[in-house]
Amino acid sequence: MIWLKNIQMSYPLEQSRVTVLKDVNLNIQAGESVAVVGPSGSGKTTLLLLLAGLDSPEDGNIEILGTRLDALSADELADLRRDRMGIVFQSFHLIPSLTALGNAALPLQIAGDADADAKAREILSRVGLAHRESHYPMQLSGGEQQRVAIARALVHSPPLILADEPTGNLDKDTGMAISDLLFELHDTLGSTLVLVTHDNALAARCDRQLRLDGGCLVEGPVHALPA
Amino acid sequence: MRFLLKLAWQDLRGSGQSLWVLCACLVLGVTLVAATGGLYQQVWQGLQADSRQISGGDLQVESRARLPAAAISWMQARGQVSLLIELDTMMGTAAGDFQLVEVQSVDQHYPLYGALTLDPPVPLTDVTRMQGSRFGLAMDPVLADRLNISIGEVVEIGALELEVRALITEQPDRSLTASWRGSPVMISEEALLDTGLLRPGSRVEYEYRVRTDMDLSAWQRDLFAAFSGTDWQVSTFVDSSDRIGERLAQAGSALLIVGFSTLFIGGLGVFNSVQAYLQGKLGTIATLRSIGLRDQPLALVYLLQILIMSCLSCIAGAILGLLLSSVGAFFIETQVRVEMMLGSALLPSVFAGIFGLLIAMTFAAPAIGRALSVDPAILFRSLDGVATGTPRGWWMAAIGGAALIVLMVLILLPDPMFAASFVGAVLCLLVMLDGIVRLIRRLALRMDGQAPTRRYFALHLALANLHRHGSALRVSLLTLGSSLTLLVACTILISALLDAIAETVPEQSPDLVLYDVAPDQYPSVSRILERHDAARIDMAPLVQGRLSAINSASLDAGGSLEAQREARDEHKLTYRAGNIDGVTMVRGDWWPEDAAASGAWVVMEDREADQIGLEIGDMLTFDIAGQKLEAQLTGIFRQKGLQTRFWFEAILSDGVLDPFISRYVGASYMPSQNAVAAQNEIAGLAPNIVSVRTATIVATAKDLLGKVVAGLAVVSAVAFSVSLLVLTGVMASHRSRQVYYSTILHTIGARLSTIRVSLSIEYVLLALVTSVFALVLGILIALPLLHFQLRLPLEFPIWPAVAAAFGVSSLCLYAGADYLMRRLHLQPASLLRGQ
Repeated sequence: MIWLKNIQMSYPLEQSRVTVLKDVNLNIQAGESVAVVGPSGSGKTTLLLLLAGLDSPEDGNIEILGTRLDALSADELADLRRDRMGIVFQSFHLIPSLTALGNAALPLQIAGDADADAKAREILSRVGLAHRESHYPMQLSGGEQQRVAIARALVHSPPLILADEPTGNLDKDTGMAISDLLFELHDTLGSTLVLVTHDNALAARCDRQLRLDGGCLVEGPVHALPA
Repeated sequence: MRFLLKLAWQDLRGSGQSLWVLCACLVLGVTLVAATGGLYQQVWQGLQADSRQISGGDLQVESRARLPAAAISWMQARGQVSLLIELDTMMGTAAGDFQLVEVQSVDQHYPLYGALTLDPPVPLTDVTRMQGSRFGLAMDPVLADRLNISIGEVVEIGALELEVRALITEQPDRSLTASWRGSPVMISEEALLDTGLLRPGSRVEYEYRVRTDMDLSAWQRDLFAAFSGTDWQVSTFVDSSDRIGERLAQAGSALLIVGFSTLFIGGLGVFNSVQAYLQGKLGTIATLRSIGLRDQPLALVYLLQILIMSCLSCIAGAILGLLLSSVGAFFIETQVRVEMMLGSALLPSVFAGIFGLLIAMTFAAPAIGRALSVDPAILFRSLDGVATGTPRGWWMAAIGGAALIVLMVLILLPDPMFAASFVGAVLCLLVMLDGIVRLIRRLALRMDGQAPTRRYFALHLALANLHRHGSALRVSLLTLGSSLTLLVACTILISALLDAIAETVPEQSPDLVLYDVAPDQYPSVSRILERHDAARIDMAPLVQGRLSAINSASLDAGGSLEAQREARDEHKLTYRAGNIDGVTMVRGDWWPEDAAASGAWVVMEDREADQIGLEIGDMLTFDIAGQKLEAQLTGIFRQKGLQTRFWFEAILSDGVLDPFISRYVGASYMPSQNAVAAQNEIAGLAPNIVSVRTATIVATAKDLLGKVVAGLAVVSAVAFSVSLLVLTGVMASHRSRQVYYSTILHTIGARLSTIRVSLSIEYVLLALVTSVFALVLGILIALPLLHFQLRLPLEFPIWPAVAAAFGVSSLCLYAGADYLMRRLHLQPASLLRGQ
């Protein structure tokens, strides 16, 4: 499903470069849920960007769903995200001028799906927001906005879900509800879930836990991972 | 308060150049209003200060013949009287060139007001008296320069040779058109008699100017009572001052309207600029509120910031406008009497500044109110899509400001009709634009809901961008639509004027126009013209008569002063055949061809007919040299503006005028290179015949219209640059949001090419709608101006306006789209990083 080999990544820093990923290797099987934890600036988001095809490594290869990302053009990468990925952001990033339904239907509309609205209604219903479909993001609470964001990420039943701190902007109870929803949908759809989080409890719910530290990826249970 | 001012200033200083669009819009708009208002005020003050000098006296009694001694004694008993004899004729130079001049002979009392200044500074009587074997003359310096004549040279007027002895450096009653038509040449009365030009049918005018302290209406009533039955025309300095003042007010109003329009468009720029600026300040505002700054002082901080920037911009604009109006006054001083006083232009500049400030604060109020409504809770959430709305109080303040603006426009514009029309047009524009925005949104929403459009994501996205909340549609359409409307209206006026010039080119117009051809001179003049290969000669009689009665009711029977004066107005009468004026029948029709023999029929010019209140079928009685002529009115015509050469006011059926004909006017079509020789030969044979080469008229008209076109182009360019500024501001303020949306879309799988296509579709739709709107409204504004003000035919090429509307809107929106696409550097990483 996901295959990373010898990934090297660094960013320029005034006169030098800071290395965020050092020779990272990773294999994730279809249907697995994987949590990536680590301190701020450890390269978690960079890893997610690479998986989403939104950035490319300095060295190494990435293969997603049997496709080498470096072989794809920008448009082909966009198509890959459109058809086979769902992304959930920490800050939701809903389009303020679209209703909950409009936001949820977006990936299908981009793909030209004639049943976009019907499918969006269905997923909104599954995330418990059927009664809020005509509301704009600003009329929704933080938890509701994140549920719409999850609906948008899953409306097209993607085989891969990438989530970046999905509960980071929510209170504890709402965060718990959202993570329940995310895992429930992941189980129902049978998709692969990769989530980046600071929350050890959330990470512990995943099949595998990975810790990024000093640019290296270490695998093991959360409580056993180095602090 | 000191703390708030300090806070406002520090926050403003730290904001870089965020408000540059506000400053640029205000500076340009205020400059334009201050410059045009200041120039108008200086010309108006000059007119007011010298209206008696310009008219030559308090009153003027004008006649085709000398007044009887009894009338002169009557006038002298009621004031000081000065006689000016005036005659249009040809003046020949030693080089054999002939030029139309206005010969003036004055008495020792001239001028009653002001002073005549000659170069060299010698008394006029010394200049014009007989010295050696020749009389002398003083001539207009513009004429001397044009003909390359210097002092000491000899010129020919009628049968007389005169020596040029002085140039007229200042003449208080110099005509406004003297520089390009009939420049003054002053000679003595004896010399005028010796020219042989004073003969029956000559267009000589005896103008008796009167200086009196009496009430002018009472003076006129007494004159009409004492000398009833006479046809002398009486006018006062107020009449001429009012006439010029009215024209000036219209011209001033037209220029000021462009200035106000520019400021209005600039106001939209102010709104956008303030909105974009304060959107970037939402975090700061929320923070200030969260740490306890109350609403009122918070509002004061941001009001102070906008006030500081607006004040500085308005002061800069007012100073620039003041300087420009003084420079303008300096340039037109040779054409128009100008009161070159900085004080005259100061008040309009101050008003322009206040007006600019009022516009700025009115347009800024909703944006400030909206930003201040931000909830401090946003500090704990994302700023994206934060809910803000303008509170009612701020809207009320904006509406109050708008009412004050309307009031100021109505007060400041010199012509109340123009002012009311302008306010009406702006309100109409706003309502129409709002209607169109709603219509487009509804159509876009409807189309967006259809299956075919939803299948094409780029089209769906473009349509969604048009109908979604917070789209740039309204503000883009308002900004570009307003300026394009102005541009289209100016383009139509320019193309109609250019078309009028093209209609006057020598290939289509007569090469030589002749005035004052006596019946006995007709054959010899025709022979000269034929000898110079004239392909066609059109001659029409010119008979002058007064309209004395309508349906047997005497015009002055009512006894009002106005009616009595109307009855003394002389009209130019002619036949249809040989009349080279372009006329269009607007009411009624020509008499039937076979009816000419069965009675006397007449058609009248619309301005005269409407002023008197004539109806088709009225029986009109003309008084021609003491004899009555009755004719029935069958139609009312309009002169075709620039195509008109003689401006006849009545055209009668054939034969009716025969007993009264003492002169003809006409035109000849010939190879243009022969026109000069023919003109000189006619002037040599018959000095009383005034002739003008069309090439000269065309050159003059082209020069004059060229200046009008250039003026319109400059004004349009300034207004348009403000619009571009505003549009740039709109693009800039919407750019970050559009880039953000595009980034989300790209991150969740929309191709960059799809986003670009959707932007292109959106902009093409905008360009199309804006162009059609501006074209329709621009035409609606330009047509009444063409018809009622310029009196030009409504048949003009439409393609320049279409090209201007579509070309400029496409160019603008292409530039906007290109600007946006170049900055569409999508950085999805920023989303994941929560930036």
